[in-house]
Amino acid sequence: MEKYFTRLGDGSAVWMTEEDIRWDLEEGMKDAADRGRIPELTDDEMQRLFEIITHPEKTVSCERGNEGVVTFDAGTLKLPVRAGIPMDRMATILTHERALCSDTMELCTTDYSYKSIKNFVHEEAMSMELAQLNSIIPIFYGAMPNLGQYTKPDGPIDNWSELLPLAKIPEARAAQEEAVEHAARDMVYISSIVYDSGADGINFDTVGASGDGDFLATLKAVETLKNKYPDMPVEIGMAGEFVLGMHGQLTYEGDRLAGLYPHQQVKVCEKAGATIFGCVINTNSSMSFAWNLARTVTFVKACVEAANIPVHVNAGMGVGGVPLTNTSPTDATSRASKAIIEIGKADGL
Amino acid sequence: MAVTHEVATGMGGIRTAGDLVARMQMTKGMKLKEAKEYVAGKLGISVFELSDSYRMKEIREQFDIGHVLDRDKASYGMEAKFNIAKLLGIPINSVENFKKKIGMI
Amino acid sequence: MSREAIIQEAIDTILKYDQPRAVQVAEQALAEGLDPVDILTEGFSAGIRKVGDLFGRGEVFLPELMLSADVMKSVTNTFESAIQGKSTQKKGKMVFATVEGDVHDIGKGIVISLIKTQGIEVIDLGRDVSVSKIIETAVQENANLIGTSALLTTTLMEQKKLEDELKKHGLRDKFKTMVGGAPATQRWADRIGADAYGEDAAEAVEKSLSLLNK
Repeated sequence: MEKYFTRLGDGSAVWMTEEDIRWDLEEGMKDAADRGRIPELTDDEMQRLFEIITHPEKTVSCERGNEGVVTFDAGTLKLPVRAGIPMDRMATILTHERALCSDTMELCTTDYSYKSIKNFVHEEAMSMELAQLNSIIPIFYGAMPNLGQYTKPDGPIDNWSELLPLAKIPEARAAQEEAVEHAARDMVYISSIVYDSGADGINFDTVGASGDGDFLATLKAVETLKNKYPDMPVEIGMAGEFVLGMHGQLTYEGDRLAGLYPHQQVKVCEKAGATIFGCVINTNSSMSFAWNLARTVTFVKACVEAANIPVHVNAGMGVGGVPLTNTSPTDATSRASKAIIEIGKADGL
Repeated sequence: MAVTHEVATGMGGIRTAGDLVARMQMTKGMKLKEAKEYVAGKLGISVFELSDSYRMKEIREQFDIGHVLDRDKASYGMEAKFNIAKLLGIPINSVENFKKKIGMI
Repeated sequence: MSREAIIQEAIDTILKYDQPRAVQVAEQALAEGLDPVDILTEGFSAGIRKVGDLFGRGEVFLPELMLSADVMKSVTNTFESAIQGKSTQKKGKMVFATVEGDVHDIGKGIVISLIKTQGIEVIDLGRDVSVSKIIETAVQENANLIGTSALLTTTLMEQKKLEDELKKHGLRDKFKTMVGGAPATQRWADRIGADAYGEDAAEAVEKSLSLLNK
């Protein structure tokens, strides 16, 4: 029986039969439909997914005319910090603009949390001004809400990660509510300064990493910022496929945030005033690439259909069907890219 | 990862019209199809041509909105963005700041 | 009440975080002469595993998860004296830590809370813990199982270091090891020689129980 080269969710190579790939595609798709209570993919879409996965060429690409727009999180962290290339942020931005042909870029700092930026935000504003003088592509400023940074020992608030295991639920919830206000205030403060210095947009990245409080703080910050700067472009990129209920009862305009899946998250972000939504679907490293990709595309399609704003799907290490390895094989990455744009109908990555 | 996505499905940044379509998504919240149609209309070309680097080199030079390979007297950085704002009919934050700083407005 | 009805009721009390009712059910099981280990395993613990699964689907949230763990604690207290010497399932002691250089411990906290409900004693060393401290504690406490969590690709190597150090000191066969955290995978566990990998909290519980039964 013919076997096709493909990958597992951790990036390792595997040869699978047509029957096994189709089985995994079906199971992954159904898992997403079941968890998100969203429509299943059509037979045609499943067939296209199968063809993308089993395409004999190493890397694949979209059909001409189907290209999408790419935005970045952790933009200026990747080359000078993670890759260790001795270049400054200005050179990084121009490398992305002129050599890598990125559509947009993000200026960010190594401690990628809004709270940490307070002490040097004016230096960040200067860097933004310089970047704007020299670059053509839109430059976001971005960081994470990182609500956990407001808890002891890093911040003033009691640590809910310690309170919850002691079953001190009301205390843990009160602590999160207090942290929400601190985080929202910091995000508004920093975003205002970098926007006044010429940023093309603000990116809130890995939103919800500390749970529903993290998400609420971001929504509140976005709402305040949009009242202050109605034209400010704002991207909200999520941390996971559903909002972790660290508090469990927080709401935004009547919607409970905990447990929301991408097609529901985007609606809340729209209400707050976001202009681009960064949808996240987690990769399960123990399952096959086929299983993960079908699951991703099912969630993406439902999210894009629900959205009135552009959806840029996170397709980096361990998300969007991309295997959980920091050197993801191009065969898998390009297939995830194509399937998300062409079947999921995403507006970008 | 960035390179793979760009090759697989990316528009191509300032090699093509990727930055311009991105600007319409950002400033007007346009979905991909609408943003592409808007930009194509402003440039007077087809949506298909937006991702054609050969065609877009001519277009970018014609409108002087910056390109990956500079030539002398071509607009660069802020200068190119002045032309992009005019061409797309949108305010660009840094361009507005620049105008204020030099007393244009 | 039949065994089946008690078991169903036990599961239900966990799913509803109903502490007084859970204790009542436990007392009733004892009064009716039912095997407490059986009721714990098939009833209350099954309820906890169900809550863990719902948590993994975003249908139950952390406070509820912790409340159910608290209900479980009251139940085990009620059963404690009756259970002594009657265990059908080997339970044990586990040392757990977030590895050195890593200060992320939300996931670890969730995993520990669930594992504790299954009758496993957990010694939580916290975050940013060196390999030598982990091994020293495991030896001192005579632990059966060592669990480590790492959120960052840069700190993941500490899990390998733990395996290497255990081998170097001739202690590898003394403990079972389990790894977890965002960048960890089954393949990583296999490569470094860890005994198990937990994809999420529910799986970590299952794998811990399975390792202790080996």
